[in-house]
Amino acid sequence: MVSLARLFRGIRQVGVKEWWHQMQYIGDVKAGTLVGKDQFGNRYFENLNAEQELPGRHRWIDFAQHDLNATQVPAEWHSWLSHIRKDPPTEDKLMQNLSPPWKAPWVENLTGTRGAYRSYNTVKPKIEAWEPKVSARGQSS
Amino acid sequence: MPFARPSVALGLYARAAITRPAQLHPSLVAYRLLSTSSPRLQAEPVHEHNHLSGPIKSPRTTATYTAANEPDKYINPYKDGPGALDKAANLFFFTEIVRAMWLVMEQFFRPPYTIMYPYEKGPLSPRFRGEHALRRYPSGEERCIACKLCEAICPAQAITIESEARLDGSRRTTKYDIDMTKCIYCGFCQEACPVDAIVETQNQEFSTETREELLYNKEKLLANGDRAEAEIAANLHADHVYR
Repeated sequence: MVSLARLFRGIRQVGVKEWWHQMQYIGDVKAGTLVGKDQFGNRYFENLNAEQELPGRHRWIDFAQHDLNATQVPAEWHSWLSHIRKDPPTEDKLMQNLSPPWKAPWVENLTGTRGAYRSYNTVKPKIEAWEPKVSARGQSS
Repeated sequence: MPFARPSVALGLYARAAITRPAQLHPSLVAYRLLSTSSPRLQAEPVHEHNHLSGPIKSPRTTATYTAANEPDKYINPYKDGPGALDKAANLFFFTEIVRAMWLVMEQFFRPPYTIMYPYEKGPLSPRFRGEHALRRYPSGEERCIACKLCEAICPAQAITIESEARLDGSRRTTKYDIDMTKCIYCGFCQEACPVDAIVETQNQEFSTETREELLYNKEKLLANGDRAEAEIAANLHADHVYR
């Protein structure tokens, strides 16, 4: 994909500013249609033209954060980005119908931060430590 | 030397006729035993004219033939040079190097197939087995009924379940722990589950920095299911005709 013709065609299509932005992150100039934007501001693109993008590289994401992470993609868009679902979640009627009202907000993998998950026991412990109880002097039990 | 045998017999007979007295019958001489005849009698006659006419040649009947003289006879065409296997090995093993180098050069000018993770991702199946999650019914009621089939079938024994009756009388788990460091992601738990409670989501990006973060309890599994329920349900629906 690294060819001069592709480079100049991409710059002409996306503009110099967007090209510079892409070179800072994905490291390649990719031009495509904006499919949608999730609640975090990540932008999702698609280019189905096999002459311009190789099949398998035709869906990509532009992360909103600089400190990017693959788990910043919410589950609905993850299934689109991983080519599990054909349609993006904005058009996928099935996924919209199956989305429950009690759906929890997406949180990224917070390992290494203070928000990381820490395991704990959800039941009362089976083993209780012995707590010595000292009766006061002078009292006959 | 089959061609020389008649002359030997004739010569022996002639010498014997000369040296022996005439009273012996020629048939007796001819049938003399080899052990009883003297070495002088067994000597072969030397024909002087062969020496004088140059080196010993083959008789006319055994002259050098070419393939044109014997059109019906099979002649091995490789009898003078390397065999067909040697030639083929030389040809293909040497040209294989050249052909492989040509293939490398072709790939050099082709675009690479590198997928720029995490911006682009490779295709996943709706049956992909990743991080576990506990699901809920659409009403929000948790599905798991603590039948412990997943705990029984788990080959790595990574699942620990304790159950207790809830206040309304329904049996629910109070403890549903999965040790993700033990789990081998075989998917038996989601196949054993009668109510589709425990599933393996398509999330594979749950790497942690510490080992303790991989000891999932029930709250974590329910949280996984709550945030990814749309994707889980869509994947289960995509496979519902095969289940």
